[in-house]
Amino acid sequence: MTPSDYVLRDLEVPPPVIDVPDDYLHADQSLWSWFVTTDHKRIGILYLVSITGFFILGSIAAGLVRLSLVVPDGEIFTNDVYNRLFTLHGVIMVWFFLVPSIPNTLGNFLLPLMIGAKDLAFPRLNLLSWYIFMGASLFTVFVMVWGGVDTGWTFYTPLSTQYSNGWVLAAVFGVIMVGFSSILTGLNFVVTTHKLRAPGMTWFRLPLFVWGNYATSLILVLATPVLTIAMILLFVERAFGLAIFDPDHGGDPVLFQHLFWFYSHPVVYVMVLPGMGVMSELVTAFAYKKIFGYKFIAFSSLGIAAIGFFVWGHHMFYNGESPYAGLTFSLMSFIVAVPSAIKVYNWAATIYKGEIRLDTPMLYAMGWIGLFVIGGVTGLMLASTALDGHVHDTYFVVAHFHYIMVGATVVAFLGGIHFWWPKITGRMYSEPWGRVSALLMFIGFNMTFLPQYVLGYLGMPRRYHVYPPAFQPLNVLSSAGAVVLAAAYIFPMVYLIYSLWYGERAGPNPWEAKGLEWTVPSPPPKHNFETIPTVDFEPYDYPNVIPEA
Amino acid sequence: MSTTTVGIKLEEQFESEQQQRETAKLGMWTFLATELLLFSGMFISALVIRTLHPDSVTAVALHLKFWIGATNTAVLILSSFCMSVAIESSRLGLQRIMVRAMLLTAALGVLFMCLKGYEYYRDYVEHMTPFLHWRRYELVGDPASRLFTDLYFIITGLHAIHLTIGIGLMLVMSWLASRAGFLQKHQNRIEIVGLYWHFIDLIWMIVFPTLYLLNR
Ligand SMILES: [Cu+2]
Repeated sequence: MTPSDYVLRDLEVPPPVIDVPDDYLHADQSLWSWFVTTDHKRIGILYLVSITGFFILGSIAAGLVRLSLVVPDGEIFTNDVYNRLFTLHGVIMVWFFLVPSIPNTLGNFLLPLMIGAKDLAFPRLNLLSWYIFMGASLFTVFVMVWGGVDTGWTFYTPLSTQYSNGWVLAAVFGVIMVGFSSILTGLNFVVTTHKLRAPGMTWFRLPLFVWGNYATSLILVLATPVLTIAMILLFVERAFGLAIFDPDHGGDPVLFQHLFWFYSHPVVYVMVLPGMGVMSELVTAFAYKKIFGYKFIAFSSLGIAAIGFFVWGHHMFYNGESPYAGLTFSLMSFIVAVPSAIKVYNWAATIYKGEIRLDTPMLYAMGWIGLFVIGGVTGLMLASTALDGHVHDTYFVVAHFHYIMVGATVVAFLGGIHFWWPKITGRMYSEPWGRVSALLMFIGFNMTFLPQYVLGYLGMPRRYHVYPPAFQPLNVLSSAGAVVLAAAYIFPMVYLIYSLWYGERAGPNPWEAKGLEWTVPSPPPKHNFETIPTVDFEPYDYPNVIPEA
Repeated sequence: MSTTTVGIKLEEQFESEQQQRETAKLGMWTFLATELLLFSGMFISALVIRTLHPDSVTAVALHLKFWIGATNTAVLILSSFCMSVAIESSRLGLQRIMVRAMLLTAALGVLFMCLKGYEYYRDYVEHMTPFLHWRRYELVGDPASRLFTDLYFIITGLHAIHLTIGIGLMLVMSWLASRAGFLQKHQNRIEIVGLYWHFIDLIWMIVFPTLYLLNR
C-alpha cells in the first residue's frame, strides 16, 4: 500500500458516531465528578478502591508477622517492631477493611438497586461518610506507620493508658473518627430499608442480602457509640489524667474491656452478616433454585444481631469475671450459634438437588460454608468456660477468628465481587482464572490457619514472636500457606482490572439470576430505574423449587 | 398576624412529600439512638464506680452543687417547652412566633451554659479538680473518689458539647428560618432540629439524677 491508499480509505470511512453510553460510569467522566458524587454506585466504588488499598497494606503487615514467625528466636524484628506490626495489621484489617468491606462497597452499590430506589435515603450523608472514613483511615495509618502503636487492636488499659510508648492517642482519635463513618452508613441503610422500598417490595420480598445488611446496620448504629465512648474515656485518661480505669485509684481496667467488647463482639457480626447475605444470593443463583426457608434466614439475621449484643463477656472468662457471669455469657454464646446454624442448613437444603453450576462465585460460596462451619464450631469450643481455660490467649483463638473474619467475610466479599462484577462494570472476567483463585484461596487459607489451631492447642501464646523450637515446623507451614493465600489475593486484582478493558461485555443478566438489580442494564443507568418498578413477584422465583421429601 | 403556607421541597430520591418527611424523622431518631448508647456507656461506668466505691462516691456527690444542677434542670425543661412552641407554630405557618421561640430556646441554652460554667468555677475554688496536677485535691485522702469526680467532669462536659452544638444549630436555623419562603420549602427541618434539642434535654434528665441525686 502506498501512503495515498491510506488517504483514499480514510475518505471513504464515514465520520465515527461516538456512542457514549448513558450509564453511571460514563455519565460524567471527569475525576472531579467522582469526588463530589452523591450516586450510591459511585460511592460504593470509591469505597471499593480505598478499602482494597488498606487491605494490601494490612496484608503486608500480616506477611511480615508471618515472616518473623518462621524462626523461633524472634531475630528478624525487635520486640517493639513486632508489636507494632501486629497492631498495624489488626487495626487496619478490622476498621479499615473488614467493617466497611461488604456493606460499604456491595451494600452501597446494591441496596437501592435491590429495593427499587433511586438512591439511598441521604445521598450527601453517604458521601460525607466516605470523606470521614478516608480522613480517619489515612490519619490512623500514617500514625501507626510513622510513630507506631504497640497495644494490639484491643487497646487494653492500663497498657494503653500508662505503659505504652507508642502514638496511642492519635490512633485512638482515628478509631473514634472512623466510628462516625460507620454510624452514618448504618443510619443511612436502616432508614433506606424502612422508607425507600418500591411499591410492592414488602419486607418478605426483600432479597436476603438486604436483610443481612439491615441487621448489620442496626449493630453499627447501636454498638459503635459504645466503642466511641470507651475510646473517649481511654483518651482523656491518657491525655488529661481524667482517671476512670486507672487501678492506682481503685479504677477497674476490666470495665474498659466490658465497654470495648460490647462493641467488638457485635462487630464480628457486622463482618459476618453481610457475608451471609451474599451467600443467600450466590447459592440460589447457582443452584438455580428457590431459597429454602426464606423467613428463617431473614429472622435469623435479626436474631444474630440481637443475641450478639449479650455475649461479650466470653472474652473475659479469665480476666476476673465472676463464674456466674461467665456461665451466662457462655450460655448466650451457645444460643447465638443457633441462628447461624439455621442459615447453614438452609443453604445446604437450597443447594440439594439444584441445577448446580460451579462458576467462580459458587466456588467461593462452597468454600465459605466449609470455613464458616470450622470457624463456628471452634467458636463454640472457646465459648465453653472449661475449654477456654486451656486455649485462652493462644493461637487457637487467632485461628478461630481468622476463620470467621477471613474465611467468612473475605471469602464472601470476593464471591460477591465476582458475582456482581458484571453488574458493576458491565464486563466479564476470565472464568478459568476465577476458578483457580477461588480454589487457591481455600487451600492457602487452610494451610495458613489449620496449623495455628494445633499450635494454640499445644500452648503457643498469641502476640509473642519468640517460641520454643518444637513449634517451628507448624509455624513454617503456616507461613508457607500465607504465600499461597497472597497469590489467591493477587490473581483477582490482576484479572479483574484487566477485564475492565478487555473483558467480554456482560448483558444485563449474565447469570440468569433473579432480583431487581438484574433487570436493569449493566452497568446501571445513573438513576437506576427509568420508572420506579412495582414489585409483583416473590424473591428468588427460580424455576426449581424444593423437591418433595 | 401573618401566616404562610407550609411545605417541603421534594428531593429527587423521594416519590412523595410524606415519604421525605418520614425518612428525615426516622433518620434523626436513629441518630438519637446512637447518642443514647453513647451516654449509656458513661452511665454504666458511673454505676460500676458507685458499686465499687460507694462511700467515696457519696463523698463526691456531697460536693456537687445540687441547687445549680436543679435550676439547670428547670431551665432545660423550659427550653424544651419553647422548642415545642416553635415546632407547633412552624406547622401553623406562624413564622415570626416560631423564630422568636427558637431564639428564646437558644437563650435558655446559653443560660444553662452560664450556670454550668459557674458551677465548674465553684468546683475549681473548692479544689474538686483532681486532674489539675498543680492544684491540691480536696478529697486527697480518698483516692477512689477521684474516679467519680473525673467522670462527673466527662459526663457534664460531653453533655455541654452537645448543648453547644444545639445552641449553634438553633441560631443558624432561626437565621435561615427568618427568611421569606422558608416554611414553604423546609418546614420539617424545624421538627428535626427540635427532636435533637428535646433529646439533649432528655439526656440531662438522666445525667442529673445519676450524678447529683442517686448518691446523696
Ligand atoms: Cu466475642
